[in-house]
Amino acid sequence: MNGDLDSKWLFAIVLFPLVGALVNGLFGRKAGRGAVHFVAVASVAMAFVIALVMFKKLIGLHAHSLGNSEEHAVLSFNAYEWFSLSNGGQTLSIPVKFVMDELSGVMTLVITGIGLLIHIYSTGYMSEEPSYARFFAYLNLFTASMLILVLGSSLPLMFVGWEGVGLCSYLLIGFWFENEAYAKAGRKAFVANRIGDFGVILGMFLLAVVCGSFEFADINRFAMEHAPALTSAVALGPKGTPFLVFPGITFATAATLFLFLGCTGKSAQLPLYVWLPDAMAGPTPVSALIHAATMVTSGIYLICRLSPVFALAPHTMAVIALTGAVTALLGATVGLVQNDIKKILAYSTVSQLGFMFAAVGCGAFAAGFMHVYTHAFFKACLFLGAGSVMHAVGAHGDADIRTLGGLRKYMPTTHWTFLVSCLAIAGFPGFSGFFSKDEILLGALSTGQLFSFAPWLGPTIFGMLFLGATMTAFYMFRLYFLTFCGEYRGGPHHDDHDDHGHGDEHAHHDPHESPAQMTVPLAILGFGAIAAGYVWVGIAHFEPWVKWLAPALAELKEEHGATAPFIAMGFGLTACFVGIFTAYAFYFKGSETPAKLQAAFPRLHSLLMDKWRVDELYEVTILGFSRFLAWFAAGFDKYVVDGLITEVTSQLVMVCSFITTRFQNGLIHSYGAIMAAGTLALTFYVVAPHPRPSMADPEGLKVKFDAEHGLAYTYRWDFDGDGKFDTEWSEDAAAQHQYADAELKRGVVAVFEGAAYGRSAELSELKPGERLHVSKRDLGPAWQVDAKDDSLPSIVADATGVLIQPNGARVMLGTTLQPGNVKMHLALGEHATIGDARLSVTGVVHPRLSVRNAFGQEGARSFDLVLPKVESRIVAAVAGVPGVAP
Amino acid sequence: MSQHLLSLLCGLPLLSAFVVLFAPRQMVGFIRGFTVLSMLGTFFLSLGLLDGHYATAAFQFPERHVLVPTYGITYSVGVDGISLWLVLLTTFMTPLATYASWTNVSTKVKEYAISFLLLESAMLGAFVALDLFLFYVFWELMLVPMVLIIGIWGGVQRIYAAVKFFLFTMVGSVLMLVAILYLVAQYKAQTGHYSFELAELKLLLLPVHVQVWLFAAFALAFAIKVPMFPLHTWLPDAHVQAPTGGSVILAAVLLKLGTYGFLRFAMPLFPSGSHRLGSSIALLAVIGIIYGAYCAWRQEDVKKLVAYSSVSHLGFVMLGIYSVSQHGISGAILQMVNHGISTGALFLLVGVIYERRHTRELGEFGGLAKVMPAYATIFVIVTMSSVGLPATNGFVGEFMILAGAFMSEHLGKNGPIFAFFAATGVILAAVYMLHAVLRMFWGPLTNPENEGLSDLTRREGLVLAPLVLLIFYIGLYPNGLLRDMNASVEAFSREYTAKLIAGDRNPDRRDMLEKAWVPSDGLGAGGAQLEQPAREVQLARAGVVARTLEGGTP
Repeated sequence: MNGDLDSKWLFAIVLFPLVGALVNGLFGRKAGRGAVHFVAVASVAMAFVIALVMFKKLIGLHAHSLGNSEEHAVLSFNAYEWFSLSNGGQTLSIPVKFVMDELSGVMTLVITGIGLLIHIYSTGYMSEEPSYARFFAYLNLFTASMLILVLGSSLPLMFVGWEGVGLCSYLLIGFWFENEAYAKAGRKAFVANRIGDFGVILGMFLLAVVCGSFEFADINRFAMEHAPALTSAVALGPKGTPFLVFPGITFATAATLFLFLGCTGKSAQLPLYVWLPDAMAGPTPVSALIHAATMVTSGIYLICRLSPVFALAPHTMAVIALTGAVTALLGATVGLVQNDIKKILAYSTVSQLGFMFAAVGCGAFAAGFMHVYTHAFFKACLFLGAGSVMHAVGAHGDADIRTLGGLRKYMPTTHWTFLVSCLAIAGFPGFSGFFSKDEILLGALSTGQLFSFAPWLGPTIFGMLFLGATMTAFYMFRLYFLTFCGEYRGGPHHDDHDDHGHGDEHAHHDPHESPAQMTVPLAILGFGAIAAGYVWVGIAHFEPWVKWLAPALAELKEEHGATAPFIAMGFGLTACFVGIFTAYAFYFKGSETPAKLQAAFPRLHSLLMDKWRVDELYEVTILGFSRFLAWFAAGFDKYVVDGLITEVTSQLVMVCSFITTRFQNGLIHSYGAIMAAGTLALTFYVVAPHPRPSMADPEGLKVKFDAEHGLAYTYRWDFDGDGKFDTEWSEDAAAQHQYADAELKRGVVAVFEGAAYGRSAELSELKPGERLHVSKRDLGPAWQVDAKDDSLPSIVADATGVLIQPNGARVMLGTTLQPGNVKMHLALGEHATIGDARLSVTGVVHPRLSVRNAFGQEGARSFDLVLPKVESRIVAAVAGVPGVAP
Repeated sequence: MSQHLLSLLCGLPLLSAFVVLFAPRQMVGFIRGFTVLSMLGTFFLSLGLLDGHYATAAFQFPERHVLVPTYGITYSVGVDGISLWLVLLTTFMTPLATYASWTNVSTKVKEYAISFLLLESAMLGAFVALDLFLFYVFWELMLVPMVLIIGIWGGVQRIYAAVKFFLFTMVGSVLMLVAILYLVAQYKAQTGHYSFELAELKLLLLPVHVQVWLFAAFALAFAIKVPMFPLHTWLPDAHVQAPTGGSVILAAVLLKLGTYGFLRFAMPLFPSGSHRLGSSIALLAVIGIIYGAYCAWRQEDVKKLVAYSSVSHLGFVMLGIYSVSQHGISGAILQMVNHGISTGALFLLVGVIYERRHTRELGEFGGLAKVMPAYATIFVIVTMSSVGLPATNGFVGEFMILAGAFMSEHLGKNGPIFAFFAATGVILAAVYMLHAVLRMFWGPLTNPENEGLSDLTRREGLVLAPLVLLIFYIGLYPNGLLRDMNASVEAFSREYTAKLIAGDRNPDRRDMLEKAWVPSDGLGAGGAQLEQPAREVQLARAGVVARTLEGGTP
């Protein structure tokens, strides 16, 4: 990356909105509205301007680097090291570093540009909101987080933005926290996102383990240069001896699946999409910015960002494509029947995000990302238009389109921009959505070798997307016709709470056009919905877009016939016109068909109205189970864990005290009896002889013995254990003896230390001819010379030692490996290593000590003495081991 | 002065306790003011510790006096990268906790002040002691004021909670004492003289089965303190009954002595024993993370909820420690500090609402954000720190711990599995904390008793503001803390691994362990030396008698 340009201003792009959030958050409550929105709008405007300048610089770099294809020129700024993971000399540094390349550059412009428009719009829309400063502080914080998400150079830094936008989403959905349903919707969003984040964390770790870095650039380079490392089966642990192996699942597949789980959370795909429709509880500008244009597309951004890795995992790609296509259909079907304006748009967003995922899943990264870009314009415009409508009719939270109608004549700007955006999302020729949707369909047609394991996948997805596109055109125009055409049907009924802080002054008035702060952003976005595509497309194809993104995206060989683009376009146009025409016939003309259809399929209709009852399904399965677990854990803790520890022990103490208190009964004669019994026992103990030998460490074969002293004891010793005492009675407890070899050879001891870690030495005394029992487990994993022969070694004692017949076991005398299957003899004091076990041969004698007390009573005890001593387990310090502080 | 800095730190609160002891009981204002001022003095004094040279693993500000020569008992103290931030956490949190609890403690103020001063002294002593005898004295000394704080100034069931706390802790401590005495006796058997000094006792390499038992005794004492599942049941009771100040100190500092004990004593003294039980401890830690989270979710009492969340969070800390990877341990130490700050702050916040409403039942609240916006804001910030949102302190610690467990060689194949399940704790933390936030702050203000509650006072703001600042400081620039830990943690992990290898008698297996654990930076060469017979000579030169334990001596 020689093209790196130290660009401090990248940091400023992030800092401006962050400072704006801080200022409004700390001082906004006391400041006037003018100051608040000045700070908020100005900070985003600054960020936008800087982003534009940086982007221009990037274009220059890009043009320059096209000449030498090796370099991927980017703008980057390394602020400081956040933290690092270091272990054993290896360090994974995680810097706070921002990078703008072709991909993040476009995202930055979208975020700051559309963000700016929505900030301006909000100054009008939220003008009567009491928590004005809080709203803008959140909005600025969101912008900053989103910028960190796209500009962050590494997975952990991206994750800051990733969770940051989740937090802002939580705060903004629950912005009107006094409504408990809204607050719950916020919590739902946060938790669903967290489930996804769990996947991101694990995916991040897997990638870091394989690629040795958290940086996107390093991971992508690694994926391109060392693909086999990523496409090998998951195996964790040191090289050569992995601990954990999953055959059949490659690193790339596992890591990308985990990351994709995160994407389903953030970008509202199955199975985690359920939060997004509820998220419409937030103020409408929030829905436009966060839940349509920017945050929800970050999943697609992440996949594009790591496209070289995803490209190595065709199975994940298949999962992504299918998930996207199914979600696209699911969202579209629900959108068909909903009546609330924002709800339709929400499901439309779910559906459109599904389109994007289907595209990137089919390997058409550029097409998917193109849709991110165009969708940002028209969907933001649609949401803001919906906000404008609700503003106009004084709707609360959402507006039922059956009560609207005819708004065309009351609010012309809103109407035109809305129409333009509807055409764009339907994929009407010439509008921005047309280009991106076309490319998505084409992508599904030309998956090439990607799904070679399931060739039916591409066409299936194409078919699903075609259906989805048709429905999209239909429900969007249903929305349009019902809202803007025909006659005004009187507006929504009013209840206690107002969406955007207006009082009831709008009630029962005619709708009116919104103020300029709202219509100007609408107009700009509407213009974008038409024109956004043209910046990047050539004639009938989007080559410039692909070329622009090429350095940042993985290349998948697209194989399609010459006719494929025309097939895709044909189907795309068919979907658009069929959808629009049907909606026109049904809702503009006022046909009876919708009602008939509803009557014909009442259960299907209610299922769609209830959004396939996915929420209810989750409620009774996962959520119910989790609540049960929590209930169970709390009860288990109270009654079982605590009960066992406290109740059982206290009862035990009670029982003991019950027994012992029996003795403390206060009766003199019982005390006397106990005392007498005790005295008797003590006397007996003192008088009885106790032979307790001890000895010092042997010096060669010479051993010093000693015995515990007692009242008027005399001692005698039988050193060699032959039954005859070798000394006379003596009052001196100490004695010593020099053993002769012959005395030792009467008993042979094999000291056997098994291989199992920490297994202590086993002393086995063997008579001549006796066999030492060994097991495979004792010998450790690699005890054989030849794996085929698994007969165990035979170890038999004779008079002077043991005879070892290896039987194919690895036997080492000292440090030399014994060759072949030769019988060998191990004499006293020698040792050998068999497999991982250690065998020492030594002699044993059983000396005997006899003690006599003053009454002439005798007591005797034999004990083991192993000679010569075995150098076995060493008890010592590790002083002198390098690296260990003494 | 700097060579006596640690003694001054431990001594100043003790001295202040004496001053308070002789102050007239009526002079409540003086007692309160003097106590907080002297604690602040201790804090500013402790900032001097930052001057230490933490680029090495050696103990800084060491001080050593022989107390009982016959038994080798010394007054030996020092700080290193592992204890530095815990000492600072103690000196930082104690004045805050004491200051915060002024208004709700109006009886026996003098005794309250003395208890807190004694407690601070004992906690600091336990963090800096490098002699097992000294450590044990401080360890037990902590118990007394804490039991009094719970038992005298606590809630309705304070006696039950205090006795439970006392008995639980005592059971573990007594077994630890036995283990200490056995260890010292072993040292005497091998060297001919007694010593209680950590540095000396660390030189012993005991047989594995002995290590397992000794480790188990130490681990029990520490695990109760942490507290680890299933020994945690004293904690919810103690927290619920303790006064705010007591809860804060208990959560912020006292629990850390358990995790610290593993790092400072149990693991370095008995590496093989620790390694044997390591996976089981990590498993218990993971169970604790999930179990604590589920228990927390169901609690109606906010304090109990936070107490169970501590079980969950300290599960993370234990998992990090038992990953024995450097970043896992650094993350664990960082997370100890983080937990001290965020859970300390949570208990302070709960104290704020308790003072106003005299209840902590979630059902009693709802919609508080309307009347107490500043309070709600800080509560949400602290909540986000507690659930580990990036850019707050909680994230960095959790991230390092999870990465440590995921990549841990010591946990082997369990590492990624443990990390997987521990990561679900991230989800559950959001569930139970947001559940509490939802029920306390959002929704309509339905309970008339909550109307007109006053927002944070200046004093409460003063206490909470530094905690909030720290949450972001550590979250954005964790290197400020991690930097000073690195050398000590690296030495710890290297020493632990090297001793494990040295303790293994089987040369082939030693080879295998080395391949798995010893990084390539030269330690491998040292490991190879272990196989050579010359090693015994080396050991003899080092002044430690090498001899056989088994194979003859009855």
